[in-house]
Amino acid sequence: MSANGAVWGRVRSRLRAFPERLAACGAEAAAYGRCVQASTAPGGRLSKDLCAREFEALRSCFAAAAKKTLEGGC
Amino acid sequence: ETVGKFFQADIAENALKNSLETEIPTVSVLVDEEFLPFRENTFDLVVSSLSLHWVNDLPRALEQIHYVLKPDGVFIGAMFGGDTLYELRCSLQLAEMEREGGFSPHISPFTAVNDLGHLLGRAGFNTLTVDTDEIQVNYPGMFELMEDLQGMGESNCSWNRKALLHRNTMLAAAAVYREMYRNEDGSVPATYQIYYMIGWKYHESQARPAKRGSATVSFGELGKINIPEGEKSQ
Repeated sequence: MSANGAVWGRVRSRLRAFPERLAACGAEAAAYGRCVQASTAPGGRLSKDLCAREFEALRSCFAAAAKKTLEGGC
Repeated sequence: ETVGKFFQADIAENALKNSLETEIPTVSVLVDEEFLPFRENTFDLVVSSLSLHWVNDLPRALEQIHYVLKPDGVFIGAMFGGDTLYELRCSLQLAEMEREGGFSPHISPFTAVNDLGHLLGRAGFNTLTVDTDEIQVNYPGMFELMEDLQGMGESNCSWNRKALLHRNTMLAAAAVYREMYRNEDGSVPATYQIYYMIGWKYHESQARPAKRGSATVSFGELGKINIPEGEKSQ
């Protein structure tokens, strides 16, 4: 662990905002989740980046939500 | 009232320091479960609650417990079973597979309930009872669950664990968890499966299964039994 808590403190505060930002992206998260879940059906196979498109949508929504909460005062 | 003296044993020093105050005279001992520093036949009762999943050599730890118990002493334990946190395990596995092309263990290995009975028998325990129960706890989301686990001191600790969980993978896993497992009210469940076990150290006074062929009554006569009040049946 680092000697001073500065880096770890920043990481933790970013992590703590995680659920709020995820909540703002419910539709994208659901779409990604459905895509992954579909691959678990019999006959499906889950490979790397199978749902890359859905994940990219989720990731950009998440990043946008992060910017919004930062501007709102942190 | 029945406990004369209480010994608290743990391999983690901080766990011992965190324990509650009690009126019972207590001694705290820093020990390794696989090598208990007590003489044979010392204790009437050994209790273990939700910590045995951390022990590396479980057969040996159970043998040690059996060794330090007095004859007619009893071991009562509760430990986490194989279905514990299966939602978390599956979500992480699927997300890691999709995002990174492979997955690594994130949860400590559990014992199967069948093996538990065998292990207790091999350790020398008599008259075993093994029971399983499932508790479902609802969390707002995967992240809150992981924070809770961290607070419980239950973070992943195997030697071959990956040093960090990528933020993208964690995001992906949270989305999968929510989609696959969520409850109607939007919360997500986490299952804790608990094995309860009781094992006795042998003593002549303990009941033993009767010899084969020694039955005098048949199961078919069960319907005819009429037990009067106040009488015990064997």
